[in-house]
Amino acid sequence: MRKILLITFIAIGIQHLAVAQDFTQGFEIGELNMQKYDKDTAAHAVFINEFGNSKIDVTNDDHIRLTYDYHAKIKIFDNKGLTSGTIEIPIHNGDNDGEEVTDVTGTTYYKDDDGMIQKIDLDPKKIFKVKDYKYGSTVKFAMPGLRPGCVVEFRYKLVSPYWDRFRGWEFQDDIPKIYSQYEVHIPGFWTFNASLRGALKLTKTSSELERECFTSHGAKSDCSHIVYALKDIPAFVEEDYMTSPKNFKSAIYFELVEFTNPYNGVRTVVTKEWKDIDRQLKIADEFGSQLKRKDLMKERMAPIIAGKTDEMDKAKAIYAYLQKWFKWNDYIGINSNDGIKKAMDAHTGSVGDINLSLITALNAAGINTDAVLLSTREHGNINTLYPVLSDFNYVVAKANIGGKSYLLDATDPLLSFGLLQLSCLNDKGRVISLDKPSYWIELSSIQKRSNTSSLDLTLLDNGKIKGTISNYYNGYEAYQKRKSIKKFNSVDEYVEDLDAKLPKLRILKSNITNLDSLDLPLGEVFEVEIDAFSNMNREHLEFNPFFWDRITTNPFKLTERDYPVDKGMASDSRLILTMHLPAKYAIETHPQVVAFAIPNSGGMFATSFETQDDTFTFSNITRFNKAIYSPEEYPYLKELYNKIILAEKTDMVFKKK
Amino acid sequence: MKVFITLFLVLLINVSASAQDNYDVSLISKDLLPYASAVVRNKEVSVEVKDYDNTVYHIKTAITILNKNADDIAHIVVWHNKSRIIKSIKGTVYDQLGKPTGKFSESNFEDVNAGDGFSLFQDVKIKHYNPAVTSYPYTIFYEYEVKSKQSLDFEDWEPNSTTGLAVEKSSYTFSCKPDFNIRYKEINMPVKVTTGTDKQGYKTYSWQVSNLKAIKDEPYSPDKLKYLSCVKIAPDKFSYEGINGSFTNWKEMGKWIYDKLLASRLLLTDVTAAHMKELTANIADPKLKAKKIYEYMQAKTHYISIQIGIGGFQPFLAGDVDQQNYGDCKALVNYTQALLKTVNIESYYCIVQAGSQKVSPLNDFASMNQFDHVILCLPFKNDTTFVECTSQKIPFGFLSSFTDDRMVLACTPEGGKLLHTPKYTAQNNLQLRKASFVLNNEGELSGTMETVFKGTQYDNREEAVEDAPKEQIKDLKKEYAINNLDIQKAEFKQDKSVHPVTTENIQLLARDYGSSNDGKLTFLMNAANRMSHVPREVRNRRLDVYINRGYTDEDDITYTLPQGYQVSLRPTNVVIDKPFGKFSATVTLNGNQLIYKRRMQVFDGTYNKDTYQDLVDFYQAVVEADNDTVTLTKGN
Repeated sequence: MRKILLITFIAIGIQHLAVAQDFTQGFEIGELNMQKYDKDTAAHAVFINEFGNSKIDVTNDDHIRLTYDYHAKIKIFDNKGLTSGTIEIPIHNGDNDGEEVTDVTGTTYYKDDDGMIQKIDLDPKKIFKVKDYKYGSTVKFAMPGLRPGCVVEFRYKLVSPYWDRFRGWEFQDDIPKIYSQYEVHIPGFWTFNASLRGALKLTKTSSELERECFTSHGAKSDCSHIVYALKDIPAFVEEDYMTSPKNFKSAIYFELVEFTNPYNGVRTVVTKEWKDIDRQLKIADEFGSQLKRKDLMKERMAPIIAGKTDEMDKAKAIYAYLQKWFKWNDYIGINSNDGIKKAMDAHTGSVGDINLSLITALNAAGINTDAVLLSTREHGNINTLYPVLSDFNYVVAKANIGGKSYLLDATDPLLSFGLLQLSCLNDKGRVISLDKPSYWIELSSIQKRSNTSSLDLTLLDNGKIKGTISNYYNGYEAYQKRKSIKKFNSVDEYVEDLDAKLPKLRILKSNITNLDSLDLPLGEVFEVEIDAFSNMNREHLEFNPFFWDRITTNPFKLTERDYPVDKGMASDSRLILTMHLPAKYAIETHPQVVAFAIPNSGGMFATSFETQDDTFTFSNITRFNKAIYSPEEYPYLKELYNKIILAEKTDMVFKKK
Repeated sequence: MKVFITLFLVLLINVSASAQDNYDVSLISKDLLPYASAVVRNKEVSVEVKDYDNTVYHIKTAITILNKNADDIAHIVVWHNKSRIIKSIKGTVYDQLGKPTGKFSESNFEDVNAGDGFSLFQDVKIKHYNPAVTSYPYTIFYEYEVKSKQSLDFEDWEPNSTTGLAVEKSSYTFSCKPDFNIRYKEINMPVKVTTGTDKQGYKTYSWQVSNLKAIKDEPYSPDKLKYLSCVKIAPDKFSYEGINGSFTNWKEMGKWIYDKLLASRLLLTDVTAAHMKELTANIADPKLKAKKIYEYMQAKTHYISIQIGIGGFQPFLAGDVDQQNYGDCKALVNYTQALLKTVNIESYYCIVQAGSQKVSPLNDFASMNQFDHVILCLPFKNDTTFVECTSQKIPFGFLSSFTDDRMVLACTPEGGKLLHTPKYTAQNNLQLRKASFVLNNEGELSGTMETVFKGTQYDNREEAVEDAPKEQIKDLKKEYAINNLDIQKAEFKQDKSVHPVTTENIQLLARDYGSSNDGKLTFLMNAANRMSHVPREVRNRRLDVYINRGYTDEDDITYTLPQGYQVSLRPTNVVIDKPFGKFSATVTLNGNQLIYKRRMQVFDGTYNKDTYQDLVDFYQAVVEADNDTVTLTKGN
């Protein structure tokens, strides 16, 4: 599963290496003649070679910059591989300063219609820069003259003002690589931690000392020159129900530990231990300072909690108030860059703005509340070996009330008190408070989803079934159901749509309860009439007791998996069907009474059946107790679905007496 | 002096009264609320052509957002580029009572590049802003002015084309200098145009609608031009990106496109021309020559969309594509045309509205904005052939459901010609399946299955065909809803003729296909082609039922039953025959073989709106029949 290897610089300081080794520009005839990649004959394209070189250096304009040179050569085998010839380089824009891509060159080598070897260069006019949003742009270009069998080679330079975010390197991509090498040059003024992710082992690491590689205005330093290389890297194949591919792709990442200002010698320890981060966060303008603005919130919250004495009542009132107060602007992050006052006044802000406001407001009302930093599922897992602040991209509140704690996110007005979005249920969160050391909490299996349906139905002599269907939704299930109901302008429109989607069923009366009382289970009661049987003169009537909610295909189709199945939370689903039959029918075939389980209490499916006079009661329960199933547990999970489908396939048969 | 002051005051009052409408939400008529998540209170679009290269759009909108679902409608998006410049944007937010609560201006807007999801680059940017209002309902008023440097392409006026949006009042005014002549087309408009002259002597054309209820999606709806209100406007004389022109009908428009945008783009090098001649030297039949060149083009190029300036209407140079090997639909069609020209094969550059939904340009109204794609027509005598140039694998002469059965405008040196692309009928669009399965006493299914795809169903397996065997099996497992499906072998064959055929052969195994209970074995008759979706019912349907494209599916499955088992329960045969479709499912027993035959046919066409419930019932019956099971019992 997740492998993070800590590589210290001392450990690899011994071995010597030659000078920086970018591969030679140009192609070899064998590369043009290559028909298939032997190690993965299914590959549409393969990296023949890939080279990256990053260094912290002083640029011509006398700024300290991170300079990254990239060089790649890709063999394209067939039409589907042509997409590998369109290059997109995402870059970060700051408010005043940003990353820039320069010196883009590219060449395509191919055999023309007469079998002659030709080459064509990338036209610099055909390189485009697109601004995607405030903080992100993409540099794009399409390599010229592509055709199956060609080899493309391109390089570019990326200059970044963010030397504190030293560039990582993804060894693994969605096409295989024959060889990939990354070199870094880090002047002694800086210290970084490097961590390796993924299942693959480095083929080569070596390091050497470069003498006086960094000089600027009299400041001098040697550099660590380190080489990381991997060969025969398989393509990364994504699977369904997995979290961020970033968790599994083989890659190397860097995190700044400390640096010394080359000009005045002042040393800044960035990452040492959590206590350093705690201190840093506590004084940060965009984080700790905002959490201290209790006075700002005290006044605003006073009318909200007026007359309330119970902490829980106060907390719920403030949470509900801020959920409605804010309209989230779709930006995520852990900080409140413009401050919570501005966000409050504007009624809008990022995740950081909104949830730091919430934490401050709760504390202002006397409710002990901490911040929890987390990384969303898409963003990937957290490095827990040492503190990496950039691993976190989301913040929520943790209100501590009556010995229990509740995680709160005010960006979504439909989340009930203590419920988080699925995207936040990932790995671990770090609890940050203004007065205590920070600590980890588990986030991956903290909440559940459950629903219960109870059907009380009567089969009438005319072939119709009448009765009531009651559904109750709890936890995340209720959240999602509320969301789907709220997509309609009114409850009536929701019920009308539901009725329209079920042509054989008519909803005669409906009652939706607790739609806006988020902390209570959501209920739906429908009085229904179903056109079940058009002909009641038949000897046998077939009836499927799972008709209301039936699984017909197995979501898991692969024979085996490489990565865990991550559903984010446990689930529990029950159905109780009570049915009254007309006097002239008796049950000939009853539903299967079964019980299946996944080892180690991983989950289960069970049914029960009882009959009394003309009435039978059939109930079943499906339960998945875990949020994450390992590849070893996968076959059991898949088989449980198979059993459920088999059981749900069998019809009941009623026979005329 | 006194007089003057009074006059001034009166004027002031007048101005503020007319500028400031009352946006109190309670004033919205109750009739407009059903299915509406937002209501346009008043929208005024004014388009003013001051000169051929100077058109000013002025848009004022007041819209009440009733609930969160309409936040998207409140999101203001204005596109711009070098030839379309935003002069001003500003707005005000009002609360439920119609009291102003805040203002916004251009500095609140974020400016980013527009993305259409498939282009590498477009020179279009958007300014956008989403007012942060959290108590519903609320009203936003905004106005903006855009200056456009062209007078060819005017946006259609569609006062109510979004579901969930009702309209209190909406108006459109087109004005132009006296010597600027336009044609206009009113489609489903409840009112006719009002014409006049404004105070600066410009000609004016105005339309206004009021009290339009929110439209509701109805499945199987015809094209929106059949029922939505719309006004289209086109100039007689215009300027576009520095090119002047004029047209009043399709013939003239096609001529202008050919002369001004295409004629100069066809040049190729002598080397390429010689190569084409050489490539086709031994072929006499011009159609086979064309096919050879088309396949050469397919093997050489791939689709990449880059749209800059006039490039929105004009292709890259053929010589550029020859070098770069890529282009968008315009560039690739133009390139193919240039290649064909080197061996003296005539072809037409045809503009079309692409997509599975068949849409044709209006017969009697020529304008540029009725198209979004280009294909090539080869006008062989009695054998007009159309080709799609953006795919590396589509067969010569086959258009697929992307551009079939619709009118296109061929832009030729003689002028524009409206042509019709081939139609693939229900009888052509086939999926024919024959399977021979063995079911054992544990419910395990094994056997082989052959499926033939033709017509628009030809490309049902297009994704899988080019994949490696391992990936093919993964794709197919998702294609077939057979529990525990294990595909031991999969094979595809393709006949890439004008009437192409894909043949799929599968050897499969599925444990627990049948479920055993109480000495009985139950299994689904229809293993491979079950319909699961029934269109939803529609109360008070307004629109005719439109079936866009027909098809035929045939499934023949023979099950060899396990020894010692008897059929104890089997479904009754189902036969349904409706004007829009036919369905039958039959089961016959022959010794220990159970033979299942399913026929499903849907016919394209427009049917009366009263047919809709029939259609729902039809699909419901099909879904039920597709879930029919057979039960076997051990013993005699």
